[in-house]
Amino acid sequence: VTAGRFDELIHAPTRLAIVSLLAAVEWADFKFIRDEAGLSDSALSKQLTTLENAGYLEIRKAFVGKRPRTSARLTRAGRHAFELHVAALQEIVARSGAGHGLR
Amino acid sequence: MSGYMRPDEAASALAGIREQQKQVIDAVLVPAWYWWAVAAGMVVIGAAADTRRVAVLAAAIPAAVIIIAALTLAMILGTYRRAQVRSAELLGDRGALLIVGFVWLVVGLTLGIGFGLRAAGAPAPATIATAIGGAALAAGGPALMRRLRTIMLSNRAGSRR
Repeated sequence: VTAGRFDELIHAPTRLAIVSLLAAVEWADFKFIRDEAGLSDSALSKQLTTLENAGYLEIRKAFVGKRPRTSARLTRAGRHAFELHVAALQEIVARSGAGHGLR
Repeated sequence: MSGYMRPDEAASALAGIREQQKQVIDAVLVPAWYWWAVAAGMVVIGAAADTRRVAVLAAAIPAAVIIIAALTLAMILGTYRRAQVRSAELLGDRGALLIVGFVWLVVGLTLGIGFGLRAAGAPAPATIATAIGGAALAAGGPALMRRLRTIMLSNRAGSRR
């Protein structure tokens, strides 16, 4: 059983959506994250930078032909923080006896 | 903040996480049209084999193989450009075994029926065998994807406690 740790930075709704999405992938393209999370380019850029500055995210910029391509992935620290955050949420729910989990 | 978080808020956040991860997993699964396209290609190859005409074999089989390969490549690259799923962790041994087992089942079924019908002297054995194998692929492919989806959802980050 993992002891949870609530993470204020991750819990913000847009960042939680981004981190949840990235937790399921090795890496994801900027447009894919934008579309799946339902964010604008600027909103996503801002949140990615925040997560990157916290050490939770790694941003890669590359060129495919002449087209720039940005992708992102969770760092080990980011993935760990997300798992602890989920565990903390599950603990809050479990303590209430509501029985809701991520499953 | 967590000290003041209500259980229903935590449950809502967990539901949001689950929904987000479902969307990602759904986006990287093989679409149903792919199984039908490969099944159709199989039947073309089988029907061509039954004609036993060199010109038909020379044209239809490479064309079907190229189309299947191109569709497969386009599908893989299309998904890969968007996101690379954590397949080793999400699928696990069970998922990998299911995929390998399904491929062997379809290949074994198709070849077994084909050789069996041929030995029995049935007309168009390759066409019948590939039609049955193709039907198994078209029906089983989406079922396999549903099963893999369930496995991936149960293996996703934060679901194991």
